[in-house]
Amino acid sequence: MDSTPRRSHWHRLLVACLAACVGVIALDSLLFRTGFYATILEPDSSTGLFEMILRRELNAQEHHGNRMVVTFGNSRLAWSPKVLDQRPGPHKYILRQGGIAGSDARAWYYMIRDLDPTARRYRALVFGVDDYDDEDRYFNPNDDIRALHYTIARLRLADVFQFARSFDSRELQIAALRGGLLKGIVFQNDLQAFLANPGKRLAYVRQCDRDWNTWVYDFEETTGSMAGLQIDWKTLKVTFPPGANDDQRATVNSFLAHEPEPQIGRLAAFQRTWYGRIIDRYRGSPTKIVFMRLARGPLPRPANLVHKLSSSIREMASRPNVILLDEHAFESLEQPELYRDGMHLNREGIRRFSCMLEDEVQRVLDGAGRN
Amino acid sequence: MLFNTTHFFLFLVVVLALFYASPRALRRYILLLASYYFYGSWNVRFIPLLLTLTAIDYTAGLWIERTPVGPRRKGLLILSLSANLGFLGFFKYYNFLADNLCLLIGKPPESFFWDIVLPLGISFHTFQSMSYVIDVYRGKQKAVRDPIDYALFICFFPQLVAGPIVRARDFFRDLLDWHPPTGDDVSQGLLLVFFGLTKKMAFADNFAKVANEYFGNVAAHPGWHAAWSGVIAFGMQIYFDFSGYTDMAIGMAKLLGFHFPVNFRRPYLASSITDFWRRWHISLSSWLRDYLYISLGGNRKGHWMTYRNLLLTMLLGGLWHGASWNFLIWGGYHGGLLAVERAVRGDRPISDKWTWLYPLKAAVTFLLVMIGWVFFRAAGLAQSRQVLGQMFSRVNGRDLLSFWHVGLIVLALLLAVAEEKLDWFDRVARGPAWVYATALAVMFFCLELFGVMEANIPFIYFQF
Repeated sequence: MDSTPRRSHWHRLLVACLAACVGVIALDSLLFRTGFYATILEPDSSTGLFEMILRRELNAQEHHGNRMVVTFGNSRLAWSPKVLDQRPGPHKYILRQGGIAGSDARAWYYMIRDLDPTARRYRALVFGVDDYDDEDRYFNPNDDIRALHYTIARLRLADVFQFARSFDSRELQIAALRGGLLKGIVFQNDLQAFLANPGKRLAYVRQCDRDWNTWVYDFEETTGSMAGLQIDWKTLKVTFPPGANDDQRATVNSFLAHEPEPQIGRLAAFQRTWYGRIIDRYRGSPTKIVFMRLARGPLPRPANLVHKLSSSIREMASRPNVILLDEHAFESLEQPELYRDGMHLNREGIRRFSCMLEDEVQRVLDGAGRN
Repeated sequence: MLFNTTHFFLFLVVVLALFYASPRALRRYILLLASYYFYGSWNVRFIPLLLTLTAIDYTAGLWIERTPVGPRRKGLLILSLSANLGFLGFFKYYNFLADNLCLLIGKPPESFFWDIVLPLGISFHTFQSMSYVIDVYRGKQKAVRDPIDYALFICFFPQLVAGPIVRARDFFRDLLDWHPPTGDDVSQGLLLVFFGLTKKMAFADNFAKVANEYFGNVAAHPGWHAAWSGVIAFGMQIYFDFSGYTDMAIGMAKLLGFHFPVNFRRPYLASSITDFWRRWHISLSSWLRDYLYISLGGNRKGHWMTYRNLLLTMLLGGLWHGASWNFLIWGGYHGGLLAVERAVRGDRPISDKWTWLYPLKAAVTFLLVMIGWVFFRAAGLAQSRQVLGQMFSRVNGRDLLSFWHVGLIVLALLLAVAEEKLDWFDRVARGPAWVYATALAVMFFCLELFGVMEANIPFIYFQF
């Protein structure tokens, strides 16, 4: 055992391995970065839904000119375009829905970048937030891996390191870095499902592209309500309405009747980062950035439950182009009768909220409200 | 430390770096320490057992060599084999024998049960160790003087836990007259490591999901479609799993300047069961042939004794895999098929010519092998019966293999035929850098799109 393999062997191998790594990134890019695969994603998956909304909104831009206002939020930001259409016109602004259940500002940033590359296509971007003050809850918004799945088709190679660093846990950083570099890893399950029955997938994608707008437009939320809900805020004891289901109980317990978490400024940092990036994109643009505090729930948590340390959204109001709606604007919706569970409006709640939203948006954009 | 983990690849890189950066005198020690670290990372409690077996056979080798031919020499051999088989028997077969004894004498099933953890790779390293002692006894192998060399032969990490079972003469030829790997060795070694990893993670683990789904609840998947797809999935899983592991082991050994024997030669292209066993787990089947079948008399004592020897060899080969009636039946099934083939073929050698009949013979062999896998995979005799009943039932049921699983099988078949006819792997390994890089890129891409990463599915043969 007295010599080592010749350097040229290792050199050849090293070059070949590096070339193979470049090759696999090239193959990955060919399949997943050309935009083709995003159009055949499973529409019911996180990424597929995100991409379908993006396609729908890009398409809408061609029809509605510069009257569009797009809203971003999670499942709590629920309004009905049908309700608005049934209101007497004229409608000065066309409201569009860009949000998706479970998404957050990080996902919206990447969507907006591709939805509005010139930063001039909308009159306003409206963000629905839970509160203007920052309250850290049990989950860490930085470590929500759903962001990877929502945005994977939008991530560019240049984004990969920044995106990966936005997660706190090392494990998720690696997953995001790996997935960002090689998108096939994230699309693996989707691709395998596609290959299991390509014809069925393509037909379903076509059907969704054709009919999804109608399904969403015609969707009507349940009329069920939380009437009878009571919470003793001192003991956090909940009296549920008779016949409350598991979902209703779970949302009340997790969203409303929970012990306060230690306030460490996690949410504030997250919001400053991602809303900050969105606002930076619109610096010098005619597009307004509007924040609105959503109705806080069937029974709002008393302010004295948590000592909130900061107010990142209010801080942003000082920046050009940023407008905060009156934080009390939707408080009239905070009634158990207007909620289907602990955090989502029911049909009547959505109806009222849709009208109020249109009025508020028009009021702040024009300085003149609808009566 | 599974071969398909980041932890193992870091370990391998460190070992390679230390190995080549160290002076000659230290390299054996580095490999030995690395091997014990590797083994200890599974279960450090079994290192003393490994050391004990190593010491016994090392000493036995020296004593046997010094002892003239006669009863004393034979006695030493028997002593060494008894120690090896004693450990193997205790750890692997005690509970099986105890269970059956209880059944025989009418005691409750677990009356003599002991909670015994099977030491990793014990079947492999005891067989490797026994082959050394037998070869020394037969005068085919000189006893090794240096205990470090012998310890390394037993515990060399690339093949410690699941083979291939390396013969002493092959290992010591490389160790005692070590040369740095040639350019071809390095190219082949690296390609084999990634080829094996692709076989394991992109092929075997995906078929494992289907096989586990089926065998996990046979009753939930009625009909012959489900049964055959579940069984074929397992057939694919075990081939890609074990041959993938072996490719990685051979590849790593090549990177360190060692040359292990080929262990798989496209077994599902075999034209008969005899041919299958010349292509499947070759290091075990040749071990059984050299140390058991031939010792029993081989084919030298007439037709009936040949059939008996084939049957006995395969029964013990089955039992080597695990202590259960299922493995015994699996071995017996193959032994029976070998005997039938032998009876039909007579003393004519098997033909490996690709005639128009070859695909038909290969297909029949494949189906027979798949039927055998039922016993290998099923949880017990009752489940074996249930699966076989479903395979030959008239109910159709649902096919568990997706379109892309079938695609993987077709791809593997094309690659196997191409390897058989064109020797593509060597051509790629020796080919221009761009061809080599393209092959690696395709493997990486396969791993990216099909590699099962969310769950570390252990190699099947690690349990033996």
